[in-house]
Amino acid sequence: MKYYIKLSLILLIFCAVASGILAYVNSLTEPVIKDRKAKEEVATRSELIPDADFMEGKMADGTAYFVATSKATGDTLGYTFIAAKTGYSSKVQTMVGVDKNMTVLKIKVIDQAETPGLGANCTQDWFLKQFENRQATDLVVDKDGGTVKSMAGATITTRCIATSIAEQIAMLKVAIGGAE
Amino acid sequence: MSFVKELSKGIIKENPIFVIVLGMCPTLAVTSSVQNGIGMGLAATFVLICSNIIISLIKNITPEKIRIPIYITVIAAFVSIVDMAMAAYVPGLHKSLGLFIPLIVVNCIILGRAEAFASKNNMLASLADGIGMGLGFTLSLVVVAAIREILGAGTFAGIAVMPKTYEPMLVAILAPGAFITLGFLMALMNMMKEKK
Amino acid sequence: MGYIGELFVMAMTAIFIQNFVLSRFLGLCPYLGVSKKLDSAFGMGMAVIFVMTLASAFTFLIYKYLLIPYNMIYLQTIAFILTIAALVQFVEMVIQKNAPALYKSLGVYLPLITTNCAVLGVAILNTKAIRTDGITAYNFLDAVLNGFFSGVGFTFVLLAMAGIRERLEFVDMPKSMRGMPIGLILAGIMALAFYGFMGFKI
Repeated sequence: MKYYIKLSLILLIFCAVASGILAYVNSLTEPVIKDRKAKEEVATRSELIPDADFMEGKMADGTAYFVATSKATGDTLGYTFIAAKTGYSSKVQTMVGVDKNMTVLKIKVIDQAETPGLGANCTQDWFLKQFENRQATDLVVDKDGGTVKSMAGATITTRCIATSIAEQIAMLKVAIGGAE
Repeated sequence: MSFVKELSKGIIKENPIFVIVLGMCPTLAVTSSVQNGIGMGLAATFVLICSNIIISLIKNITPEKIRIPIYITVIAAFVSIVDMAMAAYVPGLHKSLGLFIPLIVVNCIILGRAEAFASKNNMLASLADGIGMGLGFTLSLVVVAAIREILGAGTFAGIAVMPKTYEPMLVAILAPGAFITLGFLMALMNMMKEKK
Repeated sequence: MGYIGELFVMAMTAIFIQNFVLSRFLGLCPYLGVSKKLDSAFGMGMAVIFVMTLASAFTFLIYKYLLIPYNMIYLQTIAFILTIAALVQFVEMVIQKNAPALYKSLGVYLPLITTNCAVLGVAILNTKAIRTDGITAYNFLDAVLNGFFSGVGFTFVLLAMAGIRERLEFVDMPKSMRGMPIGLILAGIMALAFYGFMGFKI
């Protein structure tokens, strides 16, 4: 019996030391990760709507959107928000910039883990470009009778991005309407 | 000279993938591009070297009965460190390797080397063994990834290498291509061995 | 679509559309190593289903009621792998004592399962998985069933592979292709066939 207690004690010590080291490493890396994510978001926002100041607002489901106002004149240029939906094998997150009339200005995929070679192509320029200058009603994939050209072998990913943006625009309209 | 001998055996003579056939899951899963292959290889090499060193150092104080749980704890700790460090400093790579970083824990190469080598040899030999095996693993990943990426996307590490008219063989990047590429590579290794 | 429908989708996804072995690349070592004979493949498959279901349950509880409340998600890898290792050991002891017949057929495969990445894989995937509505995370029952179905998917392709390899034994082929190489190429062709399930709308 004494032998087994000794064994468990040794194992316990190993686990404790390991956890201690991990806690220390975590305390070093966590701020770096958070900091980088915040910086990235800011950078992406100004890429979507350049030369603008951003002000945060909240939608009905608690997700954030940002109002972009021109640095030069102070006029409202448009809005940015993050649209997220489950694609084929992962959650696809897109940051979207729209103008005052809710026409898509530019989109950028910020997070995805779709199949390499198929759905993962959603970060390519030719695919993202076709979303520009569309209203929410135009965000329908060709397979469903719309005009958004789907990627070869990745209709699901394409549909996920298109619908997530359309849904988020609808929510944004409510949020802004409520504010005024 | 034994340091060099231990180091070089992992690269060809006892190559973990092609000869001992260990660690198949990451080999197939992350080799859709050369960058991923190198990233995975280096991450595993780091864990392998560190765990080999620690395990050879503590071999005298680990009771025989619970050695496997202790090895697993040591390996898991290093894997978590790599996981966190990669998330902080190479986020893109961390994202594309995804699930397979924590799964380095169960990569049979690492536990296999701990049990078969580090627990019986001194620190220096274990270090050499870790570097050698790690490099062998990385090299194999790069070879598989290079073939798949060139055939499936016409690029090598993101740089276009095939003529413009080349129509990428998409299947090479997808799951089936991984199995078939590795199958033919192994057959090739067998053939070379037979000739000798 | 009620809960039963959702479970059906989960089962189909785990078994066919995103099969653990052929599309997620998890659990390849036993898939290639223990698929030479049908009966040993069956034993391995059963042991994996059993451990994956149990491991999903335990790791889910640990994740939700220990790691999240105490803000220790960074300990996830180490906690999960130790849980699985302890679980496998425990299952082995219980079966050995109470069901010697079962132990005889499953016993040799149990220790191998600790390092089967499909088990740790399902545990980690469960913490990240989202229900079909795209918002809610898996609850306890979802996680356990997902573990079970994933194990079934693993066993399914393991048995298919073993069935084919038993016949390959007597086929005349170049010596260098025998064993592992032909096994991998076979797996590739099976994966290709499973791609037919992709984009299946349920």
